[in-house]
Amino acid sequence: MKFNRIIYLLLAIALPLVSFAKSDTQALFEKGNTAYAKAQYKQALADYQQILNAGYQSAALYFNMGNASYKDGEFTTAIWYYEKARKLSPGDEDINFNIRFANLKTTDKVDEPQEFFLTKWWRGFILSASLNALSITSILLVLFGSVLLIIYFFSHLVGLKKASFYIAIVLFVCGVFTIFIAAMQQSYFDSNKQAIIFTGTVNIKSGPAEQTATLFVLHDGTKVNILDTNNGWIKIKLANGNQGWLKKVDVKTI
Amino acid sequence: MNIRQYILILLFLLPLTIFAQGVKVSATASKTEVGTGEVFEVTFSVNGNVDRFSPPDFSGFQIVGGPNQSSSMESINGNTTMSTSFSYELMPTKEGDFTIGPATLGINGSKVVTNPIKIKVVKGKPVPKANSAQQGQQRQQSPNDVPEGNAADMAKYIFIRASVDKDNVYQGQQLTLTYKVYFRVGILQNQVTKLPDLTGFWNEDVKLPSQQQQQKPRIEVVKGERYNVADLKQIILFPEHAGNITVDPFEMNFIAQIPAPGRDLMQQFFGGGYQNVKYVAKSLPLVVHVRPLPEAGKPASFTGAVGKFDVEASIDKTELKANEALNYKVKVTGSGNIKLLKNLSTNFPADFEKYDPKITDTVTELVSGVSGSRFYNYLMIPRHQGDFTIDPLKFSYFNPATGRYVSLTTKGFKIKVNKGVNESNVTAFSGADKQDIKLLDKDIHYIKTGDAGLSKQGESFYGSTAFIISLLVGPFLALIAFIFRNKNRKYNADVVRVRSRRAGKIAAKRLADAQKQLRAGNANTFYEAIFKGLYGYLGDKLNISAADLNREVIASALAAKSVDEKVIDQLTDTLDLCEMARYAPVTHISEKEVFEKAKGVINDIEDEI
Repeated sequence: MKFNRIIYLLLAIALPLVSFAKSDTQALFEKGNTAYAKAQYKQALADYQQILNAGYQSAALYFNMGNASYKDGEFTTAIWYYEKARKLSPGDEDINFNIRFANLKTTDKVDEPQEFFLTKWWRGFILSASLNALSITSILLVLFGSVLLIIYFFSHLVGLKKASFYIAIVLFVCGVFTIFIAAMQQSYFDSNKQAIIFTGTVNIKSGPAEQTATLFVLHDGTKVNILDTNNGWIKIKLANGNQGWLKKVDVKTI
Repeated sequence: MNIRQYILILLFLLPLTIFAQGVKVSATASKTEVGTGEVFEVTFSVNGNVDRFSPPDFSGFQIVGGPNQSSSMESINGNTTMSTSFSYELMPTKEGDFTIGPATLGINGSKVVTNPIKIKVVKGKPVPKANSAQQGQQRQQSPNDVPEGNAADMAKYIFIRASVDKDNVYQGQQLTLTYKVYFRVGILQNQVTKLPDLTGFWNEDVKLPSQQQQQKPRIEVVKGERYNVADLKQIILFPEHAGNITVDPFEMNFIAQIPAPGRDLMQQFFGGGYQNVKYVAKSLPLVVHVRPLPEAGKPASFTGAVGKFDVEASIDKTELKANEALNYKVKVTGSGNIKLLKNLSTNFPADFEKYDPKITDTVTELVSGVSGSRFYNYLMIPRHQGDFTIDPLKFSYFNPATGRYVSLTTKGFKIKVNKGVNESNVTAFSGADKQDIKLLDKDIHYIKTGDAGLSKQGESFYGSTAFIISLLVGPFLALIAFIFRNKNRKYNADVVRVRSRRAGKIAAKRLADAQKQLRAGNANTFYEAIFKGLYGYLGDKLNISAADLNREVIASALAAKSVDEKVIDQLTDTLDLCEMARYAPVTHISEKEVFEKAKGVINDIEDEI
């Protein structure tokens, strides 16, 4: 939590473009939070929505919108918002917890196959921090490394020279690794396009046409991976490996 | 039974022997071993015209019936044969061995004697009283007490006929099997002893509209004889497989009243008496040819319906809430194997909870066939909201009249399911059980407050220009520092140049020191500082060691560097002045002027070199 705040603070510093009109949206955000605290979930959602309409987003905003939708009884929408929040801040424990919680309200129970522990661990690692946090961290690491390098260049003390040189090398390696992790995360989200089903009941077809056989039935709130799109239909894959086609209008991409 | 058949065969064979041997007489008994009280038949037959017949002595037997005379004549290829037979129905009264003596027959004027027959009488049922046996009209007689009728004779009085309305049908096509009894004697009692089991058919009894009406016999003429006809049973059959299927005989026991020759003159005069006889009548087996249904043009939805049908589907509501019941009714009307209809190939939304249909039949079985309607009531419970479609139901049947398959389609329905009160988590998707997440918390985590950390949508800091610039700032600075340091290092590496470069600075320092002395009023030290400052400066600047430093060397070095003569003169003047002032007071020039002069000289040299 504290770490996040620091990151957000750093973000605010690093992105001067954000600062303009930010105070307005922050006010809206706090207004929404107040409405939420008073259990006026619809009002809270409306306030949050205004921020979205203004063209701003954040993990915290989506998370709060998910919460408000959940409390409003719209579990599918809640899951969608949570998933959007997770995409911006994959390692956030609050978001992951609420996703699990909201998923208890959905109809379909899709069991995920056991993954090889290294794969799971690796994915957890690359998703442990948000893309922005990783970006800021890499910048800071490189910056500090550079400073130490400059110290190394101009220092006349042998001890300081040695120490600054090695620390600078370590910081540069860490910085490059952080950028690598960020790139991995980016490509993970690019290649794993997901969507949430919004239609109450969807017949999953064997092909992108209405006449094809119905393979199975899914219900709202289920998360699907998008494999392909074709003429208003999308090919989906479930966590358990089942594949099929459904109409684009039945889902909302995360 | 067997013996009787043998006798019959024998009787059939008799004429042949007669034809071969001329006159042939025979005496046969239906049984050679009988129990007391059991009726058996003795027949005397002859091929030829009988003039006279004198029966043998039937001592030890009671004559129950007879003599029944029958004669037949047949002409084959011009050979006319005649046969006459006399039969008696006898009942032994005592146990023991008896011999029925020969009967004498007069044929064509000659006398012929039959062979005697040995009969063994064993203990049987008690002998009925003679009078009761003769009082045929008594209805209370138990069937066992009634003598059995001669099969051949009785068949003329009573017979059962099985008939079908069609004997060449398709598999599953209905046909009506009728059993009729033909009789021209009075029937006192009847009892069905064996019903056909009708293997290979699905059957439905025709419910006769009124039992009374049907029992009223009609009159039919068969082979010149008038018979009363009554329907025994009508069954509608549905062949279950193709091939020739045999319909088993129908068996019935009758006690019939057949005319008998009078026992006395009076009876004979009034047309003879009556005799009660028992008779087992059997119908002949029937063969029904069943054709298989044609394979050509068989629709996919065909499930075996044969006949003529109509189908109609209905639904009780088109809009409902989740978890409410929905009734889908299909009505199949027509004639044919309606009760054999299999479950319909319905096409319900996969997400509906479906139950097996409740089937109600309203079917009437008439002689014309089985007809009526069957209702399939499907109960469905939609568990989730959404728009669903019940696809049209396809029903097809085979019409045996046209020999073609007919496909029917019902209406389809659109159903709107609204959100129910309490949607349960019904697993429509087949998968393993969802793993239970153990949750101690009962609620979602609270919203995030504080700074929202908002950023422009669609803009990722990662990969943006700002990110790349920020990332490059550090290395860029480090690079600049690196270049600067290297340059610096190179610059400082030349000792002479560094010395000359620093000469001005040191001189300035010395002059500043001198100024301090001037203010303090120490004239001696002031001049010394000026002197040292100038000497030091020139030494550094011209790279001349302190030992070699004197006026001449300096002047020549400066001249070598092509410094202006005037400046050199001024310098030597100042140096002389300072040297002089160290040992003697200087009056013609103030200390301040000396200081300015020294400063000016240094500045001039700095400018020149």
